[in-house]
Amino acid sequence: MNREPILQVKDLKTYFYTEDGIVKAVDGVSFELYQGETLGIVGESGSGKSVTSLTIMRLLDEKARIEGGEVIFKGKELLKLSEEEMRKIRGNDIAMIFQEPMVALNPVYTIGDQIMEAIILHQKVKESEARKIAIDLLRKVGIPEPEKRVDQYPHQLSGGMRQRAMIAMALSCRPQILIADEPTTALDVTIQAQILELMKELQREYGMALIMITHDMGVIAETADRVAVMYAGKVVEYGTVDEIFKKPKHPYTYALLSSIPRLDVEKQELKSIPGTVPDPLNFPPGCRFHPRCDFAKEECKNIDPELVEVSPGHYTACPFYKVLEGVEVK
Amino acid sequence: MTAYIIRRLLILPLILLGVTFIIFGMMQLLGPDKLLAAYVNPNVFDKLSDEELEALKDKYGLNDPLVVRYGKWLNGVLHGDLGWSVVGKTYVSDALMQRIPHTAELALYAIFPVVGVGIWLGIKAAVNRDKFIDHAIRIFAVIGWSFPDFVFGLFVLMIFYSMLGWLPPGNFSNWVEDIIKSSDFHYITHILSLDALLNGRFDIFWDVIRHLIGPIITISWLWWAYLLRITRSSMLEVLNKEYIRTARAKGLDEKVVINKHAKRNALIPVTTVGGAMIINLFAGTVIVEVIFNRVGLGSFVAQAATQLDYAAIMGGALFYSSILVIGNLIIDILYATIDPRIRLG
Ligand SMILES: Nc1ncnc2c1ncn2[C@@H]1O[C@H](COP(=O)(O)OP(=O)(O)O)[C@@H](O)[C@H]1O
Ligand code: SF4
Ligand SMILES: [Mg+2]
Repeated sequence: MNREPILQVKDLKTYFYTEDGIVKAVDGVSFELYQGETLGIVGESGSGKSVTSLTIMRLLDEKARIEGGEVIFKGKELLKLSEEEMRKIRGNDIAMIFQEPMVALNPVYTIGDQIMEAIILHQKVKESEARKIAIDLLRKVGIPEPEKRVDQYPHQLSGGMRQRAMIAMALSCRPQILIADEPTTALDVTIQAQILELMKELQREYGMALIMITHDMGVIAETADRVAVMYAGKVVEYGTVDEIFKKPKHPYTYALLSSIPRLDVEKQELKSIPGTVPDPLNFPPGCRFHPRCDFAKEECKNIDPELVEVSPGHYTACPFYKVLEGVEVK
Repeated sequence: MTAYIIRRLLILPLILLGVTFIIFGMMQLLGPDKLLAAYVNPNVFDKLSDEELEALKDKYGLNDPLVVRYGKWLNGVLHGDLGWSVVGKTYVSDALMQRIPHTAELALYAIFPVVGVGIWLGIKAAVNRDKFIDHAIRIFAVIGWSFPDFVFGLFVLMIFYSMLGWLPPGNFSNWVEDIIKSSDFHYITHILSLDALLNGRFDIFWDVIRHLIGPIITISWLWWAYLLRITRSSMLEVLNKEYIRTARAKGLDEKVVINKHAKRNALIPVTTVGGAMIINLFAGTVIVEVIFNRVGLGSFVAQAATQLDYAAIMGGALFYSSILVIGNLIIDILYATIDPRIRLG
């Protein structure tokens, strides 16, 4: 990868100042996103994936403070832009899809109205023109009878249809980057596959870069080119999907991979990683994964592991990654 | 939407019929003698012999079976015959008609501070959560909420009438009475302040408004504080919804996010409460009219109650109930206009 990245996130830190203390939701996250590729961000719930994406979009609430880092989009440092400049980027250059299509659409406005809004805002077209674009988009995302659906309200659509409408809305201004935060988590399995397929298709057609956020390694395998694995506010492993699935270099990634249900084994239980995600108010000292790590050593409590490149483009934050060599993913 | 309104309108007569059942039922508890008193001018009533009384009971059907009596009574009600009011010294229907415009004027004006100030301040407070303006508005509301309306009304009278002489009690000054009773003054809406304007009498308009300010503040005081609290919490809840984040993620201006996406959702619960409150403003006029010594439906019904003027009480009950039923209908329609989930099922 010697191209210029379209988006660069460098050592991002976002903390929440709550009554109970400081929640270090994102605590040193870095990655690059290249034109036309899909970067997966994977990690258990609470690892800081959503906060990372909301920081990029600058959509955090007042309790949040961006403590450090840079977000560079096509040479522009987004964290330094004025609110007005940032608004021109949101929805237009960088668009976002959220997890729950049931609650991410405004219940009192029609689907069409909500899609047209962004088109009128950013593309300065007339309402009748925007309506045509909205209907075309609905057709494109596979919503039957788009002329009728455009005037319907969110509650009149099924969950899968609503997520399609969300996608249409996000794509309405042909963004260069689409951030999808668990776009299929709330949907049932067959619909999940359809939506992922649709997103891949549209990505190819629009040539946009996609950040696919999920807790599900299966979704990553399905969609991503490269992956950033997050744990407790940090990226712990970063590389191509191929490398990460075949030669994981971090015990957490290894544990995540072991928890994917396998199609070739019958009647298996859904495995999850033993132990619980650490409390972000009070992370364990040293390597934050050590209380749950099968390979932890005494010194893991005292080190602060940094990402190091172990092969071209493949990084891990475990200095003892060699213990994984020759270990089969269960 | 039209289908919804038609559906609701079709139920309306049924509900009103239910109201008449209840009121008729309560009247029956009085027994035939007292009921008769409610039909006849008392000056005549006291001079009647027993035979004449029986004849009158027959005439008014008080000896008939219940169903027949209900039918006759309802027929009377539908023709505006509600009996004789001792307190009003005239037919109940006339007594009511004379006083309704005064009370309507008071209640209608009170809606503006309640809805305008209550909702407007509630949204201001929510949008500026935990900032100075939010704290100031909330303290204001807590003070409002902690005073019973009649206590507040007495304070208003004490300060603005006794001490400052600004806001006198009553409906208008004495000099106004002669003018509005003369044939030069034309009644168009029967709402005095409006008619004064329409007659080009700004002096009368101002006098009427001066008499209205105290009662209006008193009536609306408690309610706007309540509405403010509800609006604020509803707005705060909506501002945390995901669709608000979606709206921001589109690049919309914060003003559009608040005014288009948040407000309409936040007003859904406010409509229900606010609507019920506006209906209750009519009930609230009873205390205020008594405190401020105003002519109106509220003070009339209060007087009727103390003097056991049954016909007037029942007539008032019928009127207040109808307002309640029709008011609720209007709220439901408003509710459906705001929220498509109601209207489209
Ligand atoms: N608004 C907020 N206030 C306080 N803590 C928050 C807030 N949003 C997220 N967090 C905390 O930040 C951490 C990371 O959250 P999130 O990014 O949503 O995780 P993920 O998307 O990976 O499941 C969690 O511990 C969560 O509780
Ligand atoms: S540093 Fe130690 S605890 Fe952390 S992942 Fe590596 S082996 Fe496990
Ligand atoms: Mg999340």
